[in-house]
Amino acid sequence: MSELPPIPPPEQRPLPPVPGAAGQRRIVLPPHRQRARRPRSVRAREWVRKNLFNSPGGTLLTIVAGAIMAAIVFGLIVFVFFSANWEVITHNRWLLFAGGFPHEEAWRLWVSIAVVFALIGAAYGTWSSFGRRDHLFVLLVGGFVIFLMAHGGAAIWSTIYFLIAIGCMYLGYALTIWMPRETSTLRTVQQRIVGGLLAISLPIVLVILLVGGEVGPRHLDGFVLNLILAPVGIVGGIVIGIPLALGRASRLRTISLTCTAYIEIVRGAPLLGWLFVALFILDDIIGGDLIIRAMVVMAVFTGAYMAEYIRGALQALPRGQYEAAQAVGLNQTQSTRLIIMPQALRISIPPMVGQAISIWKDTTLVTVILPLRELKGNADSAIAQFEFTPDRIEAYVFVAVIFWIVAFAMSRISQRVERAQGIGER
Amino acid sequence: MSTQAPASPPSAGGGLPPDGGVPLIYRRGFRRLVQQGIYVAVTALVAWYVYDSLNLREFGFGFLDDPAAFKVGNQWLTDVDGVTSSRIEMYLVGVWSTLRVVFVAILLSTLVGVIVGVSRLSSNWLVARLAMLYVEIFRNTPLLVQVVLVYAIFLVGAPIIQEVLNIGDFAFVSNRGVAIPWPVPDGGWWGAPDWFVGVWVALLIAFGAFAMSVRAKRQDRERETGQPQFANRWAFGIFAVAALVTFVALGLPVSIDRPFVEGTRYLEGMVIRPEFAALTIGLTLYTGAFNAEIVRGSIQALPRGQSEAANAIGLSGYQRLTLVILPQALRQMIPSITNQYLNVNKNSSLAYAVLYDDLFRVAGIIQNKAGHALEMFFVIIVTYMLISLVISIVMNFINSRVTRVGV
Amino acid sequence: MRLPSLKGRRLVSALLFAGAALVAGAVIGACTSDEEDQQAQATDQQQQVMQQQDQPQPRAQASGEPRGDTIQLVMDRGTLKCGVKQTQPLFGFRDDQGNVTGFDIEFCKAIAAAVLKDADAVEYVDASDASTRFELLADGQIDILIRTTTITSSRDMELDVDFAQTTFYTGQGFAVRKDSGINSTSDMANAAICVQTGTTTEQNVADHFTDIGLDYEPTGGLSQDVAAAFFEGRCDVLTADASDLASRIVVRDDADDYKILPQIISKEPLAPGVRDYDSDWKDVVNWVVHGLLRAEEIGITQANVAAMAANPPNTEVARLLGVPFGDGEVAALGFDVVDAQFIQRAIAAVGNYGEIYDREIGNAIPRDCTLNALARPLPAEAVDCGPGEGGIMYALPYR
Repeated sequence: MSELPPIPPPEQRPLPPVPGAAGQRRIVLPPHRQRARRPRSVRAREWVRKNLFNSPGGTLLTIVAGAIMAAIVFGLIVFVFFSANWEVITHNRWLLFAGGFPHEEAWRLWVSIAVVFALIGAAYGTWSSFGRRDHLFVLLVGGFVIFLMAHGGAAIWSTIYFLIAIGCMYLGYALTIWMPRETSTLRTVQQRIVGGLLAISLPIVLVILLVGGEVGPRHLDGFVLNLILAPVGIVGGIVIGIPLALGRASRLRTISLTCTAYIEIVRGAPLLGWLFVALFILDDIIGGDLIIRAMVVMAVFTGAYMAEYIRGALQALPRGQYEAAQAVGLNQTQSTRLIIMPQALRISIPPMVGQAISIWKDTTLVTVILPLRELKGNADSAIAQFEFTPDRIEAYVFVAVIFWIVAFAMSRISQRVERAQGIGER
Repeated sequence: MSTQAPASPPSAGGGLPPDGGVPLIYRRGFRRLVQQGIYVAVTALVAWYVYDSLNLREFGFGFLDDPAAFKVGNQWLTDVDGVTSSRIEMYLVGVWSTLRVVFVAILLSTLVGVIVGVSRLSSNWLVARLAMLYVEIFRNTPLLVQVVLVYAIFLVGAPIIQEVLNIGDFAFVSNRGVAIPWPVPDGGWWGAPDWFVGVWVALLIAFGAFAMSVRAKRQDRERETGQPQFANRWAFGIFAVAALVTFVALGLPVSIDRPFVEGTRYLEGMVIRPEFAALTIGLTLYTGAFNAEIVRGSIQALPRGQSEAANAIGLSGYQRLTLVILPQALRQMIPSITNQYLNVNKNSSLAYAVLYDDLFRVAGIIQNKAGHALEMFFVIIVTYMLISLVISIVMNFINSRVTRVGV
Repeated sequence: MRLPSLKGRRLVSALLFAGAALVAGAVIGACTSDEEDQQAQATDQQQQVMQQQDQPQPRAQASGEPRGDTIQLVMDRGTLKCGVKQTQPLFGFRDDQGNVTGFDIEFCKAIAAAVLKDADAVEYVDASDASTRFELLADGQIDILIRTTTITSSRDMELDVDFAQTTFYTGQGFAVRKDSGINSTSDMANAAICVQTGTTTEQNVADHFTDIGLDYEPTGGLSQDVAAAFFEGRCDVLTADASDLASRIVVRDDADDYKILPQIISKEPLAPGVRDYDSDWKDVVNWVVHGLLRAEEIGITQANVAAMAANPPNTEVARLLGVPFGDGEVAALGFDVVDAQFIQRAIAAVGNYGEIYDREIGNAIPRDCTLNALARPLPAEAVDCGPGEGGIMYALPYR
């Protein structure tokens, strides 16, 4: 905050003459490698001095920040290991996870999870690779889930299913990571297959969950409901958003006016307000199951935001792109489909991921207005049970942690995609 | 897609005579007309379908004038009892509650955003890590959960009113809220009526304007001559002296009202209620995390040369930040920050989950009693849009001020 | 020649768009009304689209189910959509397996057993939010609302709801801490009061404090939220139905620190709600409740209902259970589509009213000498009550 890094990074300095001790070597190391050879304790001391105690003000800051951090860590340890009663979670894990989903159909959930995990693994294997941090993340989250299942009446089969799902992820990864990365027909086919599967993964999961058997949309409950609602909102939002963005940018006044009106009106009211509409007003217009209406509202709401991001990207495209498309004789549809939209969508990926995370978090709102019980709603139900009425904080902390894990994974995956695709680079 | 009009291809009609040989159907004007006609027809059909589906027989806003028959809490400066007052008055009480939350949350979240955003770039490893931790935690968890969690923690963590935490008879903390001293109009030496305080406020505004003009003049001179003119010190000094002098001259028209506890309630002073605090803190922490990322992004977007140059002319870290970095980053961040402010406005509807009677909850209660969902939603959306409009206007004004100063 | 082909393609795309627009318009027009065929020029294909859109889902069906025939609707669907509370101990809450349980839920099961012959054929819809429950009913999201809902004239008159026989009598009461020194509402001047919103409660309390000329400071919200706030000490007083208060206090470890004031400021008869203009459905609900009450009055229980049905001791039992007596001299009573054994099935599924009460509420809210006791208790179970006390649960004659 207060100090500049005192010296520029070593790579940028001119190489000093090689000192005598190293002069006997055949290979002359650049200075930063030489620094790395010094004893670990020296390096550590230097790092601490540079990053923590570089000035009196810096020292003060370090002390204050250290005290804050220590207080937080201490408080967390006391809360997590001593004062909290986590039985409200372990006892209610099924309620929180799937609620009213029929027990005998639980295999559908596990199969869906395995499919999605395998696809994530395949996507990683195709466009990126697991780093050490990714493995660590999987290990931590997997350990967390297994810990939950082992506590308070072990759920052996669920644990095994979960492990199989994780195995599917690594299988998908292994199958794709070994494929050659060079540009080739094989590579293109691989990308097409994985990309296509990803694109239709939501319908696949819905088919696995809902077709055959006695599971209906009304059985989507608990965390499963969040996991379904958010992708529906995101995919539906993009599908609605693209024509809206093009419409708003249109030269036909009527079209741009109505699209602008749609976007601004939808963005003008909070999502809670639109869920209110789903309950009280949409019954006269589209009717249907409330969960379907919630999905429609999520998509319509997200669509307006997505449209704005895509429009921003359309405006950011150099005019030359439009002109070049016309110059090579493409008509309006072709140039939009082949030239403009691919670039615009690429540019708008980062804000769209932000919106996706936002809609993921907003799935908690359906409980507030609609009679749908997602994770937070079922946490409310859990703390209505006799023995758990005092455990509100534990329940909400758990909900926050679960949402955090998924949102964090989403943001990390999107960063990977962006880096792999070179998005955001000019 | 196909609805988008061609971007005037040069060959389309320029070389041809007005109606020479080009069939009507190929002409751009005609085709646009047809396209728009079809579009309007379809839109009108959809609109008519929606209109036809809605039950509009009883559409009207008369129900808002009926007696409310309920009372809302968390009132400040108002005391609407709900029995004699109408529903629209109750709704306005809710609007006022929303405005308070939005205003405070915007101010605090900006403060948090700037501090955390700058801390993220700190050369101090611990500070940067702490800031990153904060951003990653609060950005990736649902606001609803944060708000209910803050509320639950406050209710459990703060002492009950019987064991109220007394901070030197000056402020009180319990889970009924935080009571702090608050200025109130006072008769002063001459026992003047309450409105007399308005005179003092008017004088303060006048002197404030004067101080600002002095500041601007001194800043101009500083820019011209390069000599330090201490514009801020002058402005503050003028204002402080004027405030003190007028305060005494008018016979101390304001006194500080210290709270105290009687039985199980706070009297006098200003009480920050847990519901208000939970919602405001939740909104602040959540929006602050986003603001921090915006601040960080706009600082990083500045050319490195800016901070290097600031170092070269010997500015201290604090000077570099406040004189060089932040003013430039401000321009870049204002559009994004404005978006966050609009989100604060909309997210304030989460009051529904923490027992705070904001406009959304009051509207819900009215709707529950009287029906008329469509009208109530119309009222809600117009209110939120008006608040958004005000925020946008203010931010546009600030934006124009910030970008006006040329480099 | 590039130009014409370019234009040609544009024409094709424009025509495609126009066609799509016409189809969309036709579909929308068809959905809206059958007679006003605005798209007379629509092709056969488009008309086919119209018909496809029209037949499987007429709009009235999609939005709000048709009025006046809920029994048939429930039987066709095979499940009963029951709107229940999911966050109130004793009356309606969820266990760790996601099952909804509680006093109100037993009546859902009884009605499902009576109508559908399967007590598990119930789809529980969350109606925890008091503000939206009637909309769920009017909207057709639920067939019946059994959710501690008070019968009031304004609801009956203004909303699309009709009430069946009361299943639980209570009144609005006040819970306070024992050490608070509050003994009646006259001690509550300027008190902080936690009130559930969207209910009769908030209006009652506003009216009551107007009557006694005192001011108060409300904190309103969902019932579980305001209850939690009260127990944390946010309010001096929690006001709700006395049964609600009792259910929330009794499950606590520190239940002894709280008391419910004897003062009751309102009548709160809690009854199942059905949609207006559907008296057949209301009749079924009514007679299931009366049947369960009658079963208690004459000593039919879940345990002995099968034996009683096989060998009815008298004509009344035979008629109630819908079985022949002796030479078949008892007329079987039933509805058009619900056979005569519907009460028998309900009893077999959940037991009689007293059994439901004992199982789900038990001693948490004592029943003796309250309004919920039988007006004519079985001689063996009669309790001496003070003057003015005693039950009003009274089954209407089933014959």
